[in-house]
Amino acid sequence: MSFRRIQPARIAAIAVKEWREIVRDRLFFALAFLVPSALMIVVGYGLSLDVENIPLVIVDRDHSALSREYAYRFISARYFRFMGYASSIDELDRPIKSDRIRAVIEIPPDFEKNLIRRNPVQVRSVIDGTFPSRAQITKGYIIAINGAANLDLTAREISSLIGIPEVVAREKLQPIRIEARYLYNENIQSRWSIVPKLIMAILLMSPPFLTVIGVVREKESGSIYNIYSSDVTKSEFLIGKLAPYVGISFCNSIVLFLIATLVFQVAFKGSVPAFFFATAIYVICTTAIGLLVSVLVRTQIAAMIITIIITLLPAVLYSGLLFPISSSTPAARVIAHLLPAMYYTSIVDNIFLKGEGWAAAARGSAILGVYLAVLFFAGYSLFSKRPSR
Amino acid sequence: MISENKRRWLTQVYALAIKEYLQIFRDITLMVFMVYAFTGDVYFAGSGVTLQLRNAATIVYDADRSQASRDLVRQFRPPYFSVEDAISMPSFPVSGDPSRGGDSELARGDAMISLAIPHGFERRLLRDESQSLQMRVDTTHSIPGYLASMYSARIVNDFAMRSSPLLSQLPPSVTDFFPPLRDEYRTLFNPNQDEGWFMSVSQLLNVITVFAILLPGAALVRERERGTIEQLTVSPLSPFQILLPKVFAMTSIVLLGTFLSWFFVLRPVFHVPSRGGFPLFVAVTVLYVVTSTSLGLLAATIARNMAQIGMLTIFLVAPMIFLSGAWTPPEAMPAWLRVGTLAFPLHHYINASYAILFKGAGLSIIWPSCLAIAGLGSVNVLFTLRRFRGI
Repeated sequence: MSFRRIQPARIAAIAVKEWREIVRDRLFFALAFLVPSALMIVVGYGLSLDVENIPLVIVDRDHSALSREYAYRFISARYFRFMGYASSIDELDRPIKSDRIRAVIEIPPDFEKNLIRRNPVQVRSVIDGTFPSRAQITKGYIIAINGAANLDLTAREISSLIGIPEVVAREKLQPIRIEARYLYNENIQSRWSIVPKLIMAILLMSPPFLTVIGVVREKESGSIYNIYSSDVTKSEFLIGKLAPYVGISFCNSIVLFLIATLVFQVAFKGSVPAFFFATAIYVICTTAIGLLVSVLVRTQIAAMIITIIITLLPAVLYSGLLFPISSSTPAARVIAHLLPAMYYTSIVDNIFLKGEGWAAAARGSAILGVYLAVLFFAGYSLFSKRPSR
Repeated sequence: MISENKRRWLTQVYALAIKEYLQIFRDITLMVFMVYAFTGDVYFAGSGVTLQLRNAATIVYDADRSQASRDLVRQFRPPYFSVEDAISMPSFPVSGDPSRGGDSELARGDAMISLAIPHGFERRLLRDESQSLQMRVDTTHSIPGYLASMYSARIVNDFAMRSSPLLSQLPPSVTDFFPPLRDEYRTLFNPNQDEGWFMSVSQLLNVITVFAILLPGAALVRERERGTIEQLTVSPLSPFQILLPKVFAMTSIVLLGTFLSWFFVLRPVFHVPSRGGFPLFVAVTVLYVVTSTSLGLLAATIARNMAQIGMLTIFLVAPMIFLSGAWTPPEAMPAWLRVGTLAFPLHHYINASYAILFKGAGLSIIWPSCLAIAGLGSVNVLFTLRRFRGI
């Protein structure tokens, strides 16, 4: 088998034919542009990891001034939405099971009497653990409020014991303060953390679906025989098939970038050309995934199922969208490394939030480039112009 | 006579259902990936991904190198933190202000937290002077960033209170009282916070959703593309008779996958409980899959070819998976979207499933979710039948 030279004219012919097919299918053409932007807006507004307004009930079995003061710390905190007092935890079984209440604070009887007599008091918090991350953050809020209450009570006690003002006592109890600076996402907003990475997720989900039908449709309808019998080489065919979809997806990436910066007001701190250079390579990668699947399978249904399994389902778990890959187990990390998403996520983080430029883009793009080469080689060797059946 | 008609009706439906089964089962590639999705994919999700703070890479710039500073650093321990002493690093500032140290590690993503302990830390502590420590946290991921800063604050506060000279002047009868509130935490339903439970179930529900929408949608569109649907519509079959076998076949296939997942992955590997009863979960799953299947068919009456149904599916499924409540608590969404997610059958299915499996809820608690799923399903069916007549 001899290796023939790639002729741009033949690539163009394939690309133009594909492009016409896309444009003439008006619903598909519209969806190709509408779906990514619509997803960005809906999911961008909705997907938030901020845990706020947690529905909370307080069981106050003391009904004293001190217990009310303690309860008020929770009632006034913006993290919680106070749903009312209850007389015992047992009567909350139903609302907890139906997800109307997620946290309960229980204040024991004789709360005030014990504190005045200098007996430590057990306060119990009950948290709905169904969603582990929510439970963990809820617990964090309660720990913080309990810590503040302890500091106040201790300072008050010491000030009355040795006769120094409460403010002084408090300062003496807290000789070390921690001055935390939050880098890259100064107000710890979930939106800043998620929206840039959402570009990654959407560009992982939608481009493969544009291409995945491309080759297999011709196989099912039989029009692929035109290609088999023509003098178009395999690489010309693959590149020509890919080109229009890459173009569409790259346009979409620009729109997604504008939505992120203009609609969601996420500060873009890095280099715009570097960002789009890396994005272009990423888009070619994800588009090529669809094409590779299309070359591999025989039916359109299988093509779509496979694509959704290897793109949509991992888009949340193995891409670094919601949680860092570094905290996953080795098995999950292996999967993450097999997908292009992880590499692009770090490019997005570095350029968008950390303000880096070409250095970050080059690092990630090099890996994506290798990835693309592997995809193309796989597509090239698996696509045969002499089908076995 | 009526029973004769009924029998014929059933035979026709049966024949069409068999056709659907054969089409799916003969596609070996499709079968392999379906089995993988219900087993391997669910397994990896349950075993691999954690939302908790684990081994947050922490760089400590200890310029004091005293007993007190070492004591403090020792409090940052696994599983939350994984501490590295910066002294071995080239960027360690030999003298002067260490507070800017660690920036390059944070920027590269090699570390998540840098903590600087200034020179004279122990001396000031013994002299009862107040001081502050500089901490920098990478918050590109908001949740671990927030958790890390919260835990660090708690560690430093406890350490400070313990080492405060004020308390050592007081008699033990008084200091035994501190801290006055002993906080105790009880986590319901999943006391060990086993994330394998949550993640594996969540992924199973996603996989069910994907197949329940895409399989029937694609099957119907294929018939439209090939024109075989024309043969069916001119036959004496009613639209309901044409669609019912598809719903039935796809629902049973997805259910088969669910059993596969439950008995080979969720139960044996992750020991997911079914406190409210597995049969109830199966019943709700059937209801949900029928609803989703009819949604897929509805999409198929809009799409004319496979490329269109692919994009439509992404458009339907992605927001459902992202916004139905597994990741985002409904309270955190803007009001208009919160109302919008009520139209996602997956939202109600997630609520019902977790309530049944983890909380041990029975029908008396989850019936509103079931009603919502059934309501949405009926709307889907009605629209699909109406549109189908127009094809």
